[in-house]
Amino acid sequence: MVPWLVVLVPTLAGLASYLLRRRRWVLTALLLFTALFHSAATLCLVLRPGVRCEGSTWLGVDDIGVWVLAVTSILFFFVSFHTAMWLPEEERYAREHGEELLPAHVFLPCMELFLGTMSLIVLSRNLALMWLAIEATTLVSAPLILFRRSKASLEAMWKYLLICSVGVGLAMFGTLLVAMSARGTGCDGLGFAELLLCSEGLEPGWFLAAFIFILVGYGTKMGLAPFHTWLPDTLAEAPGVVSALLSGALLNCSFLGIIRFWQIAPQSIRPFCDKLLIALGLLSLLTALFFIVGQVDFKRMLAYASVGHMGFIAILWGLGQHDASFMHMFGYALMIMTLFLVAGNIVFVYRTRSVSRFGGMFDRLPRHSVLWIVALLLLNGAPPSPLLTFVTEYILVRSSSLWLGIAVLILLFGVFAGMMRIGLKMCMGPAGEVDVSTEHARTTERLCGIPVLATILAICGGILFILLMSRGEL
Amino acid sequence: MDGLSEVLLVVLLGLSLLMANSSRVIHCIRLVAFQGILVGLLPLAQWDWSSGFPGFGLLALVIVSVCVKGITLPLLLYRAMRMTNVECEFKPLVGYSASMAVALLVIGFSFAISSGIVPLSDASSFSVPVSISTMLLGLFLVISRRKALIQALGFLAFENGISIFGIGMSLQYSWIIELGVLLVIFALVFMMGFAVCQISREFSHTDIYRLNLLVDWDRNGKGVEKDEEVA
Repeated sequence: MVPWLVVLVPTLAGLASYLLRRRRWVLTALLLFTALFHSAATLCLVLRPGVRCEGSTWLGVDDIGVWVLAVTSILFFFVSFHTAMWLPEEERYAREHGEELLPAHVFLPCMELFLGTMSLIVLSRNLALMWLAIEATTLVSAPLILFRRSKASLEAMWKYLLICSVGVGLAMFGTLLVAMSARGTGCDGLGFAELLLCSEGLEPGWFLAAFIFILVGYGTKMGLAPFHTWLPDTLAEAPGVVSALLSGALLNCSFLGIIRFWQIAPQSIRPFCDKLLIALGLLSLLTALFFIVGQVDFKRMLAYASVGHMGFIAILWGLGQHDASFMHMFGYALMIMTLFLVAGNIVFVYRTRSVSRFGGMFDRLPRHSVLWIVALLLLNGAPPSPLLTFVTEYILVRSSSLWLGIAVLILLFGVFAGMMRIGLKMCMGPAGEVDVSTEHARTTERLCGIPVLATILAICGGILFILLMSRGEL
Repeated sequence: MDGLSEVLLVVLLGLSLLMANSSRVIHCIRLVAFQGILVGLLPLAQWDWSSGFPGFGLLALVIVSVCVKGITLPLLLYRAMRMTNVECEFKPLVGYSASMAVALLVIGFSFAISSGIVPLSDASSFSVPVSISTMLLGLFLVISRRKALIQALGFLAFENGISIFGIGMSLQYSWIIELGVLLVIFALVFMMGFAVCQISREFSHTDIYRLNLLVDWDRNGKGVEKDEEVA
């Protein structure tokens, strides 16, 4: 019952928001109610394994799913409260300056439906249903990208729609190939539990072909290089709250799609699947490094950081460090969300994303500047702070072969240097060419509450992981 | 009905070939509509009629599939074509003679890689190569054409190719899922049609290769070009 509610309540809330469009306060109340309900229901699933319906045909959740669901729920909780504070300010500014935004009665329902579809990805116990949910996320999140109704956001939305739809279509073909591989086993459908039971009987040739299509398809949605091309455009053009959800929650949910197929892979081909994940992970890190160094747009920089972190998570999984990959997922999600929320606020004040026009942000937005630098450091796992990514980076280097460890460290160092150069350039030095009103900056400074809370939670999580490591439990 | 299903598959292959060589958008829409109707009817052509009539679930699925893929979506795209005044693709990235050559190569490649796949007892030997050809030619349209509307049509053809594979291999999953897939594809293509109209309104054209506001590198030394867009 609980898994069904986790999917149905956000979906119904989304539909209700759209129907009750005339009352603005109802829209905000429904958004916050959805976030609170989803968090409570997820907590229930975490604490009470009896209500997870793990053996269910349609909706249920296992240990892996509950972790991804918890990350998604925490993110949506933070993002929804931030949206409740940010959206009225953005609407007021747009009214005063004659700008056109996506109406709240479309924007907020789409956010709730987005949560519903992401929950469906995590909770579906049928691979075809999971595919359906992943495709549906494209559908409900595409209008969110069009928030500013600009030419650039329209271009980004088209690329997102087309590239992700084709990518996920390839994943559908992969899902059908899995059904082909199961034909001799007596497994009649695409039920995850059934396939897990007969995984050793799956025909390896068909399954290998299926896994490659799945990796390409869901890898596109996850932002793994070289299938990541939609990600920088979309994350840069979407408003901060949407970029936070897309990068922090959706990419993790898409990776879960790949994990589900990895779980049912016959043992004989798992080493090959792992090698594919490591290869794509390394390519993603390399892509992140290549595009971050010399990047001129700070939101695109964060988008490429997402590509790199997804690659890092894939490498951890490929090396068999599954716990570390989940830890990294949690830390990455919190920090990238914080950074995108802060970036959204910065764009709100400065109305530009061009790094070359920035400078002296410490004078105008002191709280946001501190948060920006701290969050960048945390995302890059700079020691000696108790950082989540630092812990997982240490685990990766410890568990991998020497050449892989060195390669990953060099790439991570390059990404770190590139991001900090841009981050410091924005905050330090003389004021840039963009002038901002003091009043507008002061109003925006009040929007830093949620990013601060998320940063504190991330640091607490990092300390907890380090404690667990020191006790040898990780 | 093996003979009938094979005839349908051959016709589907011909439709893909024609689509790769068609410059007029209206022809592409008609071809995709016909393709959608045939894909919708394929389960009935494969049905073993000696065992009795198909059940309600299958009939409902056939009707919904024909209505969505064969009628509704092409009508939506036709409406988008009228609204955007896009009638022809004059300068595709790959010319029409070269497109024909590519299409023939794709079909040959599909048959070559499918020859190693032993058909299952209840599957037509044509279904794998036809589905792969349809998918690849759909993808080819997506990457080789400039007009957004033809890219949307290519996506629809690509989805039809996946459906042919599922139906041809008799891979059955719940009819709820099948209807869900149709609903999602309907909504996606609807959204693409909407986006094409918006692109035409904002940019005064629908040439995707001229949509280049979003860049990684600082091309003019003045920062990212779309600052005005952000504001």
